[in-house]
Amino acid sequence: MTDTNSMRWRLTGYVLFCVIILVFPYILNNDYLLNKYARYLIFGVLSAALSFSWGYTGILNLGQAVSFGLGSYAMAMALKLRTIPIQTGAGGLPDFMVWNNVKALPWFWEPFHSYTFAVFAGLGIPMLLAFVLGWFMFRGRITGVFVAIITLAMLVVINLVIVDQQKYTGGFNGITDLSTFKAFGVGFDAYSLSTYYLVAGTLCVVLLGGLAITRTKLGLILQAIRDDENRVRYFGYDVASYQNFAFTLSAGVAGFAGMLYTLVMEFASPTFLSVQLSLSIVIWCAVGGRGSLLGAALGAILVTGVQGNLSESPTFLDTWMLIMGAIFIIVVLFLPNGLISLAEKGVRLLKHKSARETATHPVAGAAIATFDSKRVRES
Amino acid sequence: MNSTRRNFLKASAALGAACSVGFPDIWIKNASLAHAAGGEVKVGILYSLTGTTAIIEKSLNQACLMAIEEINAAGGINGMQIKPVVEDPASDPATFAEKARKLVLGDKCVSLFGSYTSASRKAVLPVVEKYHNLYWYPTLYEGRECSQNVIYTGAVPNQQQQDFVPWLVKNFGKKFYLIGSNYIYPKEENNVCKILLKRLGGEVVGEEYVPLGHSEFSSVIQKIKDTQPNVIFSTVVGDSVVALHRQYKAAGLDPAKMPMASLTTSEEEIAAMGGEFAEGHFTSAPYFMSYDSPENQKFVAAFKKKYGPDKVTNFVSEPAYFQVYLFKQAVEKLGGKDITPPEIRKASWDQEFKAPQGVVKIDPKNSHTYLWPKIGEAQRNGQFKIIEQSKESIEPKPYWAYPGQVCTPEGLKQA
Repeated sequence: MTDTNSMRWRLTGYVLFCVIILVFPYILNNDYLLNKYARYLIFGVLSAALSFSWGYTGILNLGQAVSFGLGSYAMAMALKLRTIPIQTGAGGLPDFMVWNNVKALPWFWEPFHSYTFAVFAGLGIPMLLAFVLGWFMFRGRITGVFVAIITLAMLVVINLVIVDQQKYTGGFNGITDLSTFKAFGVGFDAYSLSTYYLVAGTLCVVLLGGLAITRTKLGLILQAIRDDENRVRYFGYDVASYQNFAFTLSAGVAGFAGMLYTLVMEFASPTFLSVQLSLSIVIWCAVGGRGSLLGAALGAILVTGVQGNLSESPTFLDTWMLIMGAIFIIVVLFLPNGLISLAEKGVRLLKHKSARETATHPVAGAAIATFDSKRVRES
Repeated sequence: MNSTRRNFLKASAALGAACSVGFPDIWIKNASLAHAAGGEVKVGILYSLTGTTAIIEKSLNQACLMAIEEINAAGGINGMQIKPVVEDPASDPATFAEKARKLVLGDKCVSLFGSYTSASRKAVLPVVEKYHNLYWYPTLYEGRECSQNVIYTGAVPNQQQQDFVPWLVKNFGKKFYLIGSNYIYPKEENNVCKILLKRLGGEVVGEEYVPLGHSEFSSVIQKIKDTQPNVIFSTVVGDSVVALHRQYKAAGLDPAKMPMASLTTSEEEIAAMGGEFAEGHFTSAPYFMSYDSPENQKFVAAFKKKYGPDKVTNFVSEPAYFQVYLFKQAVEKLGGKDITPPEIRKASWDQEFKAPQGVVKIDPKNSHTYLWPKIGEAQRNGQFKIIEQSKESIEPKPYWAYPGQVCTPEGLKQA
């Protein structure tokens, strides 16, 4: 009973959020702000994706930026091949290849003449990479901090390769000077409403789709794996496959977010797969609430938004980093389940819930409660 | 709820298409009105105050703000004060892009001054190009860029090398060993160096690129010992410069016989490594702190007075300083006209200013700057002794190594 109730509240929250971001341009139609908030919403997608693997399945992926960056590069490569020829070499060879004395377009650049291929690559390459890495990790029953170390190492390696192979990747500068993405007759200029809606629509689909998955049996098993992997294994479930599903799906969403990021930023850079960004995603997720997709997305939007505005105010120009640090420490110390737990507490107070419920895991409380009762029955 | 979203998406697609047609014109008209209003000229300052390149970029921020302060104290531009809007792009290209958008679209600045790395300049380019703003870039860089929305006041390869390489060949010999950090700047400088060497009948006995931040040069030094070049031509940057110089000395090599000739080692790097390790090596740059001119004495004294007696000026902070004066002269020339970035750009062409390094001038052909390259020998006290100076200011040729490509005011032309 309480479970459906809490679900109703949660769904209301998600839908309300989606409505707000979709209506937003009608309140504030300004191309600069649209671009700025589209960027924050992309971070929201990225953070929600991490929440799916970390908060729901217990896989702390410190290399989330790998998927993001690869998606970003896939899109940038397709757009780079469509820039005005004068800025490029013979036969439309990208400018940085000319500088590096590359004579012909490398074979793996060729298919990026097609947008369709680029979009599939932006999704597929991160997913394939995650799947292969996940296959080895989860089959080998690697868990916890070791997953974090392996994914972080992966990130550093790929980042180094991209910076080093500047002949093919543009190196340190990344891929710049891009054309505008066009699909179905609509141009996705960085400052346009169409791009904003592409981003906002993606975030809505990710949040509601993600929420739907967490409500299925599959979703419950993922959460069970987070809570006690061995127990789930004893029940006969193939834990590794479930983990790899969450890990790979999360990578695919991050890859898609990366493609959107290229549209909004108008370049791709190795800093999109930096350790710094990857750790920021974890922070957004933790601040917002890793156990909630919406919480994680809100965390990203709030943290990057506050960061942007704080560093733009002359008063905080020298101290904004300190203030951000203080906020993180306070949230982690006093709200271990993130800011979203405040909202959930509020809802609970409103509903005059019993003390018993408050004692359970406040974030994924409802879902776990279901599982708990199952567990009790079966044992 | 689902159908609502679909409708929104449909509406948005239509709106988006409508928006992308014919909207730049409207914006520019509004912008010019905004730029001229208020009796003050708003400019954006975009140098990192935090992050990996903050140390050097802070010195650029300070030099730039000092110039603005001086201009304002002397009455501003045609009675208007320059109002700087300072942002911290945190050494991150994405943040550079975000802050540049804020300065161009949010604050409606008429020009931005900023960037140290090429990566950050490339990140700022899309917004200044799309919205026809003007970016003033003070750093020496690899050239091969011809944006109609950038004024480049740092040196390009031909300016640093066309006197330097012949001088090195004449004084030390024809065998060069090229070593650089692994990114576009060293590669491009070495492309130019190789062309110059070929003309002079010299040869490259080795070419090596190390990752950024690399600090282990023993294998490189072994190769240098094996090949015995006359000159080690270095475009290594950052902390690697310190490691390279220290390991060079530890290996017992002698600067009098096999000096390092650098385009990137400034007073800042020498301060970090200690003068005894830099002593006897050479750098080519348009500016050294020790250069003896009344303008430079004034510049160095003002900088030390404002920011502390231990501060040093360098070949990037000097252009960051004088480019503000060039901007001022351009706006002054506009007089009563609308102050818009494209007008400022045109007015800046052929502007001359008596900078600390000598009289600099913006080349109307490519919006780069005529500069005064000098060859300096590093001293034990951390300063450079200036050995040679070009007789006249040297023309910037951003496509020097690429015959057939010419930078024009209308963009790059393929001859």
